[in-house]
Amino acid sequence: MSIIKNLFRIKIIFFVLILVYSCSKDDPDAVNQQEYISNVVVEIQSSDGSIQTVDWDISEQNSQSINLTNNNDYDVEISFLNKSNPSDIENVTLEVIEEASEHQVFYEFAEVSVNVTSAGNDTKDGSRGVLIKSIWNTRTSGSGVVRVYLIHQPTNFEANTRETFGGFNDVAIDIPITIIN
Amino acid sequence: MNRFFFLLIIVWINLIYSQKCDLSISGSILDLHDRSQIIGALIKIESTNIFSQTNLNGNYRIEGLCAGTYQITIQHPQCRSVKKMINLQSSQRINFDLEHHINELEEIILFDNKISKLRNSVQEVSLDINEINTYGSNTMVEALNFITGASVIKTGNGINKPAIHGMSGSRVGIVTDNFRQYDQEWGSDHAPNIDFNSFEKIQLIKGAAALKYGGDTSGGLIILSSSRKELKDSLFGNLSLNLESNGRGAKIISKLERTYSNGFFISGQITGKRYGDYHAPNYLLSNTGLKEADFSIKLGKDKIVKGWNFNYSSYSIETGILKGAHIGNVEDLFYSLNSSIPRLLGEFSYAIDAPKQKGRHRKLSFNYFKVFEKQTKLEWGYNFQVNERKEFDVRRGGRTEIPAIDLQLKTHTLIGSLSGINYKNWSFELGLNGLVQDNFSDPKTGIKRLIPDYFKYEAGLYILGILKRNNYFIWEWGFRVDQIFIDAKKYYDVPVWNERNYSTLFSDFEMQNIGNQILTNPKLNYLNYSAQTGISSKIGEAFQINASYILSQRAPNTSELFSDGLHHSIAAIEYGSLSLEKEINHKILFSFSKETGKFIWNFEPFISKSFDYIYINPTKLQQTIRGAFPVWEYNATDVFLTGADVNSSFYIDSRFKLDLGVSYTFAQDVLKKQPLILMPPLNTFQKFKFKPRKGSWDLELVNHFSSKQNRYPNTNFPVSLIQEGKLISEIVDISTPPAGFQKLDLYFSINLESKTKLKSQIRISAQNLTNVDYRNYLNRMRFYASEVGRNFQIQFTLNY
Repeated sequence: MSIIKNLFRIKIIFFVLILVYSCSKDDPDAVNQQEYISNVVVEIQSSDGSIQTVDWDISEQNSQSINLTNNNDYDVEISFLNKSNPSDIENVTLEVIEEASEHQVFYEFAEVSVNVTSAGNDTKDGSRGVLIKSIWNTRTSGSGVVRVYLIHQPTNFEANTRETFGGFNDVAIDIPITIIN
Repeated sequence: MNRFFFLLIIVWINLIYSQKCDLSISGSILDLHDRSQIIGALIKIESTNIFSQTNLNGNYRIEGLCAGTYQITIQHPQCRSVKKMINLQSSQRINFDLEHHINELEEIILFDNKISKLRNSVQEVSLDINEINTYGSNTMVEALNFITGASVIKTGNGINKPAIHGMSGSRVGIVTDNFRQYDQEWGSDHAPNIDFNSFEKIQLIKGAAALKYGGDTSGGLIILSSSRKELKDSLFGNLSLNLESNGRGAKIISKLERTYSNGFFISGQITGKRYGDYHAPNYLLSNTGLKEADFSIKLGKDKIVKGWNFNYSSYSIETGILKGAHIGNVEDLFYSLNSSIPRLLGEFSYAIDAPKQKGRHRKLSFNYFKVFEKQTKLEWGYNFQVNERKEFDVRRGGRTEIPAIDLQLKTHTLIGSLSGINYKNWSFELGLNGLVQDNFSDPKTGIKRLIPDYFKYEAGLYILGILKRNNYFIWEWGFRVDQIFIDAKKYYDVPVWNERNYSTLFSDFEMQNIGNQILTNPKLNYLNYSAQTGISSKIGEAFQINASYILSQRAPNTSELFSDGLHHSIAAIEYGSLSLEKEINHKILFSFSKETGKFIWNFEPFISKSFDYIYINPTKLQQTIRGAFPVWEYNATDVFLTGADVNSSFYIDSRFKLDLGVSYTFAQDVLKKQPLILMPPLNTFQKFKFKPRKGSWDLELVNHFSSKQNRYPNTNFPVSLIQEGKLISEIVDISTPPAGFQKLDLYFSINLESKTKLKSQIRISAQNLTNVDYRNYLNRMRFYASEVGRNFQIQFTLNY
């Protein structure tokens, strides 16, 4: 008899637990994605004042390209945006500027040659320019690719290849580039 | 003469004060445990020569006593004596309870602590926790290196996950003091959140044979349990301190236990660990330190025929993850793989920075048991576990201190069983269990949930039977059925939901659209059957043969179903699949052993076939803002496994002992006709132990050898790089296993015994004696760094 009684006790506890649990939880909140970068915007201004803007969007097929002329200087500004919540677009560039000592923008070119230097109004960490605002000097004509990096915590800021910078990529996107004579 | 004189005085005193000497005491004397009458017990009134004995009904009677205070002693040859003071003013009935058959009880305790095998027809390995500690293992899982057939899946040095016959994660169950452990066991970089020091015994069963604890662990079960307490008044404890050169760390363990002859016991235990960065032979492994603090309290009353106990334990750990292993994309992974040293080397430090993991596990349990007539035992228990897991990444905007993954898993379990239902040569056990689980994934991380919020309900029922004809033949079988219901609430990206065709397959799960996300309510039901049958036969006194067949079925875990996101350490995007079915595994295990003589050995071959085996493999590349990432998706296939474990010990003479262990597993994906990933390669160890005939020291040399794993699937993928102004394509080789390795460990220990009760031991050891630089295929950090180098350890143990 006492066996049955004991078993019965277990059942009661279990049912109470299920009851307590099955009616006690709200729907989960959608995550407000922070720190996330959905768009990389590269704005290129030539000396005659004309502006090209490439807006690389994570949720789209990106086919925009950059068209430049050889042996020219361009003012280039890069910005990083979080548009995951369309009603509250976040400018992530401000965070990068705030943590300038941990970040480096870097451009690597394939099949074309462009010399990139820090602009006078660029964000600086000491004497190092973060290259948020840069000057591009085109050196060869042709068509190729520019790989745009945002490197977090590089171990060597003096580097000139992605491999030697160390750190890890927060952004790495390819934009086609054509330079005409 | 003296006594007579004394009696005279008592009589005289009594005459003065009471004048009346016609009082009596009577009563019965019963066994404390089973309430049976005790015959022939002696009831003595101290300082007099008045005594009586219990009759055949266990009753006694003493007459002609005067009023006064007496000390009564009850004695029986098989019982512990009991003393009691009584103040007699009128005739009384006084019953006494005696601890009967004290020797038998002690034997039961000894039996329970030593022999109690879970299943007879499956070979199982039992280890003493103290034995493990002497090898200086830092985690329970590390200790598995000495069990053939078991292996360790690692993430660096601090995160160890058990694997049995190549299976790990949800395919290996861990049981602590009767209850399954529920933590986030699915992740390959999630170590079980358990402090093994709070237990006394480890058992390992290769296969889901222990149906009592579940039928879903095709790999096997690891069972941690406390020993049964002895029925005597005692207080003992131990203290152990470990100092290590590699990691410049220390571990301290202290235990204290108080037991009483009435069966009551209370024990407490604490563990503390603190390690800094470990060293590989040629460089520092930056940010690989760990800290751990655990404690547990157990108390209860064990009256052999009934008892209860209450346990509470708390475990908390913080583990650093190699800095050089933090990568942003596949390009970073490529450069790391091609660099012979980690890409980030720092100075030694005890600090634990991101990336890191924090785990906390708290457990509360209550168990009750009662033994009825004919040894039928009823047990029931309730357990509540809370597991908290936080993973920290290097993040921007001061968010490094906000966890990137923050999960809280609460589990209630209830178990009940009736064992020892004996009928002729048969013995049966029936049991049931129920589980309610609540997982919460905190959205404050600001990162999409890897695992959603869910409720999980489980109800299981099992029956086990064993036929024991004689000591030479045993047949046993068991069936189990489990109903599992998962009720999750998860946000999917609308494009993902549509692309995977969930919008048609699972349209009834859809709740509402919020922006470009859709809230869904997947409700999934699984009914699992599992079974086991096996025989155990003795041939002569020395040889034993076991053969066993096991059917196990496992419902997909929540990671396999819902996983959704970027896994940083291997630069992979992982997707679960709602379409997965339950996984079905058939396993046949044999064991042949010789257990006596100078040369003892056992040989355990197995074969296993799984249908709808859930695995993850790369399917395509996906463009993200960080470049192209390989997408790994959970999928199902059929797999075939076979292998064998060999163990032997050779006692050369009373001083020398040689141990040899070898294990090999062959694993093949039958449908894709390729090997399975992350299977342990051929492994072997040899232990050579010397203990002089006189003297209290011993010396042990251990050699480990692990061959290169030549059977692996190709999961490589391409990466495009810009080098010297050209866009080139390279292969990211994450498949090729590292070379085999061999390493030596040396242990020296000396026992010091003082004249007091104190016993102490000093143990000095060196692991990886020759400082070999090697990488381990089963370590996920092998892409970035070598294993730890030489380590000197000194261990002091004090028993009191």
